[in-house]
Amino acid sequence: MVLLNFKNKCMQYAMLCCGLALAAQVHAEQAITVYAAASLTNAIADVDAMFEQQKRVRVKTSYAGSSTLAKQIEAGAPADVFISADEQWMNYLQNKKLIVPNKRVNLLGNRLVLISPKAKPVKIKMDKSFDPSTAFQGKLCTGDTKSVPVGKYGKQALTALGWWSKLEPRLVETEDVRAALNFVARGECQLGIVYATDAAISKDVTVVGVFPINTHTPIVYPLALVKNNPDALAFYQFAQSKQAHAVFKKYGFTVLSAAK
Amino acid sequence: MMFSLSAEEIEVLKLSCQVAATCLAFSLIPALAVGWVLARKEFFGKSLFETFIFLPLVLPPVVPGYLLLQVFGGNGILGKYLEPFGLNFAFNWKGAVLASAVMGFPLLVQSIRLAIELVDQRLEMAAKTLGASSLGTFFYVTLPLASSGILVGAILCFCRSLGEFGATITFVGNIAGETRTLPLAMYSLMQQPDTEQAVWRLIILSLTVAFLALWFAQWFHRYQKNKRGH
Amino acid sequence: MIDCHIQLNLGKFKLDQTFSSEHPVVGLFGASGSGKTSILHAIAGLNTPVNGWIKINHQTWFDAENKINLNVQQRHVGLVFQDAQLFPHMTVMQNLLFGYKRIPPESRRFDPDYIIELLKLNHLLSRMPTKLSGGEKQRVALGRALLYSPNLLLLDEPLSALDAAHKQEILPFFQTVQHETHIPMLYVSHDMDEIKQLTEAVWLL
Repeated sequence: MVLLNFKNKCMQYAMLCCGLALAAQVHAEQAITVYAAASLTNAIADVDAMFEQQKRVRVKTSYAGSSTLAKQIEAGAPADVFISADEQWMNYLQNKKLIVPNKRVNLLGNRLVLISPKAKPVKIKMDKSFDPSTAFQGKLCTGDTKSVPVGKYGKQALTALGWWSKLEPRLVETEDVRAALNFVARGECQLGIVYATDAAISKDVTVVGVFPINTHTPIVYPLALVKNNPDALAFYQFAQSKQAHAVFKKYGFTVLSAAK
Repeated sequence: MMFSLSAEEIEVLKLSCQVAATCLAFSLIPALAVGWVLARKEFFGKSLFETFIFLPLVLPPVVPGYLLLQVFGGNGILGKYLEPFGLNFAFNWKGAVLASAVMGFPLLVQSIRLAIELVDQRLEMAAKTLGASSLGTFFYVTLPLASSGILVGAILCFCRSLGEFGATITFVGNIAGETRTLPLAMYSLMQQPDTEQAVWRLIILSLTVAFLALWFAQWFHRYQKNKRGH
Repeated sequence: MIDCHIQLNLGKFKLDQTFSSEHPVVGLFGASGSGKTSILHAIAGLNTPVNGWIKINHQTWFDAENKINLNVQQRHVGLVFQDAQLFPHMTVMQNLLFGYKRIPPESRRFDPDYIIELLKLNHLLSRMPTKLSGGEKQRVALGRALLYSPNLLLLDEPLSALDAAHKQEILPFFQTVQHETHIPMLYVSHDMDEIKQLTEAVWLL
């Protein structure tokens, strides 16, 4: 009697598990994974929401420094779409044949700015004659200058202005631009190099200088299809649509791709 | 292939050992005190105290890291008062020591507590009947008999510090020469293109240090046993 | 020698004992679990009675009413435990000298060589306690307690862990110690024959 009950329970449990697994499978097929640079956090979240509502496909997004994301994709991470904050990391993947050929487009542009905590703004003149090291105390926060796009742009800009050797010893390098933004917002760092769009998001920082365009390679966000499936392709196209463009413009990005 | 270290690798290794050794040096005496209290004393609120001490063991390391930032960061609750006294933890190796100490303390306390619990209290009683004060009993009887366990705890704390990542990167960031210990150095390398070999070299370095530390602990334990005539 | 009234709470039962004797060697006899060790520990100062008094050699060590309670070190007793309790990380010699080193030179009644000779410990001095037999351990424990020049020797069933042959071997050492040193002794045992070999004065629980 007891044994029969036990067997029944096992059967029920097994069926429940099967059912759940099936449901998960079905559910999984209706989701795509987007890997996006950290600076796109808020904008892409809005685009995701619009896409989910219209196409009834779930979007899972991972935001991190483009370097981190690219290395993860290289290691086999299940990304369907990738938006990088610079062309170098996209080239890295393209050279390793990890993105779908002919499905890559320059989506957005941005500006590089110098920020300061709102409570303690720093006075800076953005030209070669100015010595920035005397203008502030403490640290300058930005992304890792060897790998994270904002850090790489930042190093170029500082070098172009002749400021690199003075400021390098005072650098705090973070794994993505938002971490640098947060340090400045919290007042831990006196100065930070982030994108204009990031500065706009935070109410605790103020822009104290904009890096002239000629001090760094143009900031370009390439969009690429990583896996060729219908839902991923739909997102790839949606990100270039008029609706998506409106979202990006709202957050301060310049739109480079033609509206589809 | 001769395995010799580059200048950067030596800097990372030196910093890691410096942080770990300093962490251990500052944690040992408080941990001995706390371990002894937990092993030998009963008091109101002991459970709560224990839970608080062991919290960093079960929390995701980013949490203590974030709390440290809020309290000891340059703009932190205590941090801003400590700065004029030269006690600055933000973005430097002292902060890395603090992060390691918070994360390693429960390991140290637990080992010490267990080691002391294993010391027969009757031996401590015997010492007292032979004229030893409480402190004398602790130094001449309890401590020597618990030394193996204490050493194991010290090595665990040291190795935990060598491997500390989450709390460190959240609290003091990843700054070469200041807070870029072995795991952080590996993490940075992994974000850069084509650095497989460099990462593997650091992995081998980590494994070697950990292996040596654990082997030493084993050796010491055997040495103690032989000395006692087992 | 001993005059006491001890009330102790021992979990399941309350101990209430009164005893007095001028005899220098007193046996304390009782069945297992009757509270013998607790009484010994109370006299030593390792636990505190709920009520009563303890006077040894006309010195008040404990008096609940007058709030007198000398601590262990102040009472200066020599306690020989049931299982010796030798310090396992020290040699026999280091064990012997543990208490000896903690009293000022002018208070040292016995020379270590004398005690070593008395208890025949000469060939054991550099050994570690784990390499000693049960009987040898007890002799070292006795020597260690004596070298502390105690006011009172408390022996907690010192032979109970030994077999009959070894018991007969060690018992004479206690008699020798009594004759040679004249230190007052309180000898706990559940074996009346053992006690009778040392004294006629018995505290029955």
